[in-house]
Amino acid sequence: MAHDWQPDFEQLVDEHQSMVFSLALRMTGDRGLAEEIAQDVFLEFDRRLGKMESADHARFWLRRVAMSRSVDALRRRQTRGTDRWVEMEDHHGIHAEERTSPLGARLEQLLATLPEPQRAALVLRYQEELTPEEIAAALEAPLATVKSHLQRGLKLLRAKAAIHLKEFVREKECVRGV
Amino acid sequence: MEFEPLDDFEEKLKRSFERWPAPPELKRRLMENRRRRKERPRWFALPREVLVAVSLSLGVGVFAALYSGIASYQHEQQREGEAARQQVLTALRITDHALDNINKQLAAHGRASQE
Repeated sequence: MAHDWQPDFEQLVDEHQSMVFSLALRMTGDRGLAEEIAQDVFLEFDRRLGKMESADHARFWLRRVAMSRSVDALRRRQTRGTDRWVEMEDHHGIHAEERTSPLGARLEQLLATLPEPQRAALVLRYQEELTPEEIAAALEAPLATVKSHLQRGLKLLRAKAAIHLKEFVREKECVRGV
Repeated sequence: MEFEPLDDFEEKLKRSFERWPAPPELKRRLMENRRRRKERPRWFALPREVLVAVSLSLGVGVFAALYSGIASYQHEQQREGEAARQQVLTALRITDHALDNINKQLAAHGRASQE
């Protein structure tokens, strides 16, 4: 089908590199790997540029492929059995605190402990602000499954936050000498 | 589960899960990789029909080479077999000739003793 949209690769990279990199980083917890994934995604995108019908189509494609490549990379790494966030901080020098608040950093760490399908759903929900229907399309999963992952993931994250953030507040108070 | 409006916890998540800025070198490396990829000769990017034709020709070539190799091997075996058969026949002819001579000598010797 013919379409009028004329994509500009460089402009699309500028526009979407943060989204693709952030999805990969939140899914894998590894800055180096996230960069590799982003490179692969954009090079594949370049090959298929002629098939992109609109800006929305391009954004949807980038989001879907970034998620699937991240999940593939995670599965390849699972055999290593390393803790993602320990590895991330030890080997790649990334500190979640560098940009977000300390509370935000804790939430990022807690997110990393969730099962991968729940984490994927929550990242798309709260980073990309997608509806469950859009998440289902991005993950190529049934809507009911996505809703269940969102529900369970949020419940689990809330429970973990209730425990860990209390400890966090207590630690902060101790540091301040309260 | 209600998705709108977000509760306090979800608002915190939304604020915490803002997009990270992409590393500054990401785009530079990407454009460099892209340029290198476009410069590379891409024989695999030939039209599908050409690739199919080349693959078929290669397949036929390999088959012909194998077939002629097998035929040549069989021919050589047949030739060696025939040579061996001829050698045996020659040996038999020589033996036959030798036995014939011995018989003639024995007969001549018998006749001489009778006389």
